Amino acid sequence: MTAEPDVARELAEILSHYSGAKSELIPILQDVQEKLGYLPEEVMQRVAKFLRLTDNTVYGVSTFYAQFSFTPTGRNKVTVCRGTACHVRGGARILAEIERRLGIKEGETTDDLEYTLETTACFGSCALAPVVVINKNVYGRVTTAKLAEILTMAE
Amino acid sequence: MAEITVTINGRQVSAKEGMTILEAALENGIDIPTLCHHQDLTPLGACRICVVEVEGSRTLVGSCHTPITEGMVIHTHSDKVLATRRMIVELLLASHCGSCFMCDKANICELRKIAADLEVGLPRFQMRKNYYPLEDISPYVVRDLTKCIMCRRCARACSEVAGHNVFAIAYRGFDSKVVVDFDQPIDKEVCRDCGVCISFCPTGALGKPREAKEEKRGKPLIITS
Ligand code: FES
Ligand code: FES
Repeated sequence: MTAEPDVARELAEILSHYSGAKSELIPILQDVQEKLGYLPEEVMQRVAKFLRLTDNTVYGVSTFYAQFSFTPTGRNKVTVCRGTACHVRGGARILAEIERRLGIKEGETTDDLEYTLETTACFGSCALAPVVVINKNVYGRVTTAKLAEILTMAE
Repeated sequence: MAEITVTINGRQVSAKEGMTILEAALENGIDIPTLCHHQDLTPLGACRICVVEVEGSRTLVGSCHTPITEGMVIHTHSDKVLATRRMIVELLLASHCGSCFMCDKANICELRKIAADLEVGLPRFQMRKNYYPLEDISPYVVRDLTKCIMCRRCARACSEVAGHNVFAIAYRGFDSKVVVDFDQPIDKEVCRDCGVCISFCPTGALGKPREAKEEKRGKPLIITS
């Protein structure tokens, strides 16, 4: 991520929409996640100060939710379904192929911050199995052959 | 406060409105085991050891946090209750590290005592245990999260009794644990020597650093059954 002042400015801008009530913790964290792609430690500290909470409370809340990340995430989020239906229809092979193409394992981010690879346990679109979701776009009946196309489409 | 009549184990007793089932039982000489509950802390209902049967209730209820109501019929030691308590202890022990022989607090460990009281036998369950490194850099407390049963007594004691907020709960499911700051080992920067959390911890997860040659704390546990 870029220089520190940037983060500070983004945070100030986000916090200017809030009044400092404790109940605003999650919305604030969501805004930060959206803007910066992750929750840096110093941001969590400042949020804690702003809401008059302790650092560990903020940390406890943010680690509970899968939507928050603590390391920078890539511009494109690739989520591969590891649910039963997708597994039966070759989800594991799809995941392996994506890992090979991007050169990262699940849960990791490419060095150029282009892709983050995640898995989930069923999108609820089992009829389309195997399913891959890239930045909110759902790709169904994915085959390893189709992957190249799908991944370049995301860029 | 108004008097309320409830039936505990077939005996009609009167208790004050606003009391929990546990308090009403204790007042009448009936012992219900508790683990996450402590009389000086706000009830939480995390461990479920204290469950009792209440007639008309779909499930067993936690006695440490359920207030009594007029005409309640309560069974504190029915077969169902005992079986459930035993199962809970077994599950707690299944993920517990089990190094009681070496544990400083073995003789005053509430988990061990309850397991003995309930006659929980050899472990039936095998599961992945969460091993955490021993945190012994602070001169005031040694923390071994491997022995933590997530009762949150330390966190409540720290904020309610000591007036600090050193501990919070982070992560979720099997990964959840009591954290200090951003999940750092406990050191003397965050925690002073008040020792409150140590005395509230029911297991060996929080302890005083042991001086050389110092003996284990407490009397040897005598298992009576
Ligand atoms: S199993 Fe993949 S969408 Fe349901
Ligand atoms: S003692 Fe009541 S739930 Fe733990």
